[in-house]
Amino acid sequence: MKLHEFVVRRLLLLIPVMIGVAVFTFAVAQIIPGDPAALQCGDKCGLIVGYTDEGDPITAHQANRERLRLDDPVSLQFERYITDLINGDWGESQKNGRPVLDIIKTSAPVTLEMAFFSLMIAYPLGILLGIISAVRQDRMFDHVSRFFAIAFVSLPIFWFAMLLQLYFATGPEVGGICDPIFGTEGGCFPIFDRHHQSYTYPLDGYHSFYPESGTGFHLIDSWFVTDAKLAELPSEFDTNRELFMDTLTHLVLPCSALGIASSGSLLRYMRASLLEVLHEDYVRTARAKGLSEFRVVVVHACRNAMVPIVTILGFSIGGAIGGAVLTESVFGIHGMGTVAVLGILQLEYQIVMGVTLLTSVIFLLSNLIVDIAYAIVDPRVRLE
Amino acid sequence: MRDWGEGRKDRGESRKRLLESLSMSINNLGRGWKIYRRSLLAMLGLLMVLSVSMVAIFADEIAVQHPYRNLTDTEDKWSNNPDQQESPPFSEECSLRAQKITTNPRSPLFSETVVAESVNKVSGSIAYGYFTDVLSVTEIIKIESVSPPGYDQDISLITVDPNNSSIFVLSPELYENSSYSAGVWITYLYENEDMSHWWMPEGYDTCIFGTNKEGHDVFSKVVYGARVSLTIGITVATLTVTIGTIVGSISGYYGGRVDEVIMRICDVFFAIPGLILAMAFVAAMRSVSSLTLPVWLGVLLPVLMLAYFLNAHLSTTVLSRDDKVSDQAMGLLMRNRASLVGLLAFLFFVGWLPAIAWPDFFGFSQNRGWRLISSLTVIVLLSAILLADRELLELRLNNGVMRRLSSSFDWTNPWRYLNFRTVVVFLSMAILFKLSGNEGSEIILIKDFDKLWQVQFALIFTGWPGYARLIRGQVLYVKEMAFVEAARSVGAPPSRIMFRHILPNAWAPLLVAFTLDIGGTILSASGLSFLGLGAAPYTAEWGLMISESRVAFQRAPHMMLYPGLAIAVTVLGFNLLGDGLRDVVDPKNRR
Repeated sequence: MKLHEFVVRRLLLLIPVMIGVAVFTFAVAQIIPGDPAALQCGDKCGLIVGYTDEGDPITAHQANRERLRLDDPVSLQFERYITDLINGDWGESQKNGRPVLDIIKTSAPVTLEMAFFSLMIAYPLGILLGIISAVRQDRMFDHVSRFFAIAFVSLPIFWFAMLLQLYFATGPEVGGICDPIFGTEGGCFPIFDRHHQSYTYPLDGYHSFYPESGTGFHLIDSWFVTDAKLAELPSEFDTNRELFMDTLTHLVLPCSALGIASSGSLLRYMRASLLEVLHEDYVRTARAKGLSEFRVVVVHACRNAMVPIVTILGFSIGGAIGGAVLTESVFGIHGMGTVAVLGILQLEYQIVMGVTLLTSVIFLLSNLIVDIAYAIVDPRVRLE
Repeated sequence: MRDWGEGRKDRGESRKRLLESLSMSINNLGRGWKIYRRSLLAMLGLLMVLSVSMVAIFADEIAVQHPYRNLTDTEDKWSNNPDQQESPPFSEECSLRAQKITTNPRSPLFSETVVAESVNKVSGSIAYGYFTDVLSVTEIIKIESVSPPGYDQDISLITVDPNNSSIFVLSPELYENSSYSAGVWITYLYENEDMSHWWMPEGYDTCIFGTNKEGHDVFSKVVYGARVSLTIGITVATLTVTIGTIVGSISGYYGGRVDEVIMRICDVFFAIPGLILAMAFVAAMRSVSSLTLPVWLGVLLPVLMLAYFLNAHLSTTVLSRDDKVSDQAMGLLMRNRASLVGLLAFLFFVGWLPAIAWPDFFGFSQNRGWRLISSLTVIVLLSAILLADRELLELRLNNGVMRRLSSSFDWTNPWRYLNFRTVVVFLSMAILFKLSGNEGSEIILIKDFDKLWQVQFALIFTGWPGYARLIRGQVLYVKEMAFVEAARSVGAPPSRIMFRHILPNAWAPLLVAFTLDIGGTILSASGLSFLGLGAAPYTAEWGLMISESRVAFQRAPHMMLYPGLAIAVTVLGFNLLGDGLRDVVDPKNRR
C-alpha cells in the first residue's frame, strides 16, 4: 500500500466513527433531563407572547419549544442536528444565548495550550528518566524511578494540583515553601486563573479574555497584543512583555501538575521499549564496534525505542484533555473542561454535545496524524 | 474425558486423583507466589490493598463517628430532594472533646461548635472560590437552636465582639444545654480571622485528622470513604470485565460482520476522552430515577445471565448424553426448561423487587429475614440445577438426599465446578446479601449511594470497550489453537467452547487489567465526585471531601491532605498489585 492510499483509507475509516460520535452525543442530549425551552425563558415561561390563529394564547415556553422545534419527531431532530453540525451551527447556550461554537472557540485554545505545555513537560521528563532507568536496570535509580512512575500514575491529579497550589502558590507564612517572585502575591507562582487578577472581567461562566480578536491562545495573544489594546485593557502592566510573563507564570503550576502526572506512564513505556531494543543485535554490533555507551544508547538504541513512544502521543493528548478538566477546575481556568462541567451542572445539553464532539474530533485527528507519522517512519505498518 | 462410573466405583482412586489435582494447583499457586514475592514493590502493593480492605471492612469499629447525619436516623435525609436536605450537625464526639480541653483564650465556651457558613467573601464564582482573606466575625445573621427541642433560644444571650473576633456566650444555661447534643448554629459574616483552629483545635485527640467545616471528623470520613471507594472500584471493575468479556468474546469468536460492528462501536467509545465521556453519561443518567436503575440492573442482569447459563448448561451437560438417562425425567426437565427459568426469575422478583422498590406495597420489605430467605431459596435452587447432572436424575428416589448429591458431584475433578457459572452464582449471592441491607431499614446501599450509582453506571458504560478489545485479541489468539479445533470437531456448542476452552486460556491479561482497573476506577470516580458530578453532598467520598475542602484548604490543609493520601495509597496499592500479577502470569517475564 502506498502512503497516500494509507492516508485515504484512514480518513475513510474516520467517517463511521465520526457518525457514531454524533449519534452518541445526540442520544446523550436526548436523555439529559431538563427542558431546554424552559431553561431559556426561566421564570418568564408563563408570559403570553402571542396568539394562534384560533385565538389560543402562546406562552413564552411554547414559543421556545416551537422555535427549537422540540416537538418534532426524533428522527427529524436528528437529521436537523446533523445538517446543522455540518453547516457550523452547533446550537446555542440556553442561559445567555451565546452560540456554542463561539464558546468553544474561546475555551478550546485554553485547554489545548495547557495540554501542549503539559506534554512538553511530560515527554522530556518521561523519556529522559525512562532512558536512565533502562540503562541502569535493576539498580537503585531504576527502582526509585519506577516506584515514582507508578506513584504519579496513581495520584489523583486534582489533589496533586492542589498540593502544588498549597506549596508553591502560598506564602511561607501559611505553609508554602517559596517566596513570591514574578510579582505574585502568595508563593512563587500564581494560584488561580490564566491572568493576573486585575485583568479578570466579571465571570459570566464562559469568560474569554480576548473576545474580539486574536487566536484564543493566551500566550500568543499576549505576545502580540498592541500597546493601544493594552491601554484599553483593565491591566496594571505597561508592556506586552510583562503581560506575556504573567500569562506564562500562570501556566506553570497547571501544566506541571498535568505533565508530571502523565510523565509516569511515559517513563514506563520508554523503559520497556528501550529494554527491548537494548537486546537487539544491532546494539550488540554497535557495542562491538567499540562505540561509547552514550553513543550506543542515544544514537543507536533510543532512535528505535522512540517509535512506540510516538504512537502513544495520540492517547496522551486524549489523556491530557481529560486531565485538563480536573486541572482547570482546580486552577479556575476557563477552558473546555470547565465549560463541559458547567454545561452538565446547568443541564445545557448543547454545550455538552459540542464539547464532547470537539474533544473527540481533536482526539481522532491527533491519532490520525500520529498514525500517518508512524506509517512514514515505519513502512511495515502500511502493509497491514 | 472423565469417567463417571469408574470414579464412583473406585473411591480410593478418585481420592488420589483429587489429591493430585489439589497438590498440583497448590504447586501452581506456590510457584506464582514465589515469583510474586520476589518483587518488593508488589509485596508493598499487596500490603496496601489488604490494609485498605481491612479498614473498609472494619470501618464501623475503627471510625470515631458515623459519617452521616445520625446513626439512629431512619428518615431519609439524604435523598435527591433538595428540600429534604439539611446541613449536617456538629460532630458530637469531637466538639465535646474540644470544649473540655480548649485553651485558646480567643475561643471561650462553645465557640468550637460554631459552624462557619460561607455567606460572603467568596471570590469569583462559588465553585472556584477561595477564602483568601483571614476571617473575623462581624455580624451574626441567624441563630438556630438544634437542641434540646423546645428550648427557647434567646438571641440576646449570644453576642459578638468584632474587636477580638470571637463569639461570646453570655448564658451558662445556654452553654449547658448546648454542649451535648449539637447545640446552636450561628450563621455569621466574618473577616480577618484564622479559621483553622475551628477545624483543628489544639490537643484534639479523638479526631486525629481534625474536623471539616461541618464539624465532621475527617478521620472517620476517610475510613468510611475506603468502603465507598472500594465498593465502586470492585463493582465497576467486575461488571466492566463481565460485559467486556461477553462482548469481546462474541466479537472475537464469531468474527466477520458482528466483529466489525462491535469494534466500530468500541471505536466510538475510544474516540471520546474517558472522563468527558463519563461526565456526559452522568449527565444523561440524571433523568433515570435513583431507584429504578439499580433495581433493573441489579436484578435483571443476574437473572438474564443465569437464564442464559442455565440454558447452556442444560443443553450441553445433560442433553448431550442419551445413555442410561431416564427419558422421562430428562424430557420433563428439558420441556419445562423455560418455565423453570421463568419460575426462578419470578421467585427472584418476588423476593427482591418488593424488597427494593415497593416497600409499601408489600409490608415485608422491612424484614431482612424474608429478604435473605427468598434469596437463599433462589440461590439453592439455582445451585442445585447448575450442579445437577445426569447422575442426579438417574438415581432412585429412595436413596438418601446427601448420597444422591454426593454421588452426583464429580469427585474426580471438583475444579470443573469452579467455572464461570459458579462464579456467577456466588457473585449474585454476594450482591443479594449486600442488597439485603439492615434489619428494619430500607436498602441503605441504594439510598446512600444514590448519585454514586450514576457514577458507577457511567464508568461501566465507558469502561467495557477496553476489555472487549483486550478479550477479543486474546480470543483471536486462542481460537486458532488445536484444542479448540478438537472441541469443535466433536461437536461442542460455541458457548461451551467459549467458556470451557477459550476463556480459561485467556484470563491472564484479564486478571492484570482487572486489578489495574480497580485503581483506575477509584481515580475516575473520585475525579467525578471532585467535579460535583459524583457523590451527593456530605457523603464520605474521598474526591468529594477534597472538593469540599477547597473553600479553605490553604488555611486548613488537613481537610484535603488525608483523603487525597487515602486515594493515592489505595490506587497505588492496586497498581503495584497489578504489576506484580503481571510478572506472575505473563510467561514472557518468567525466568
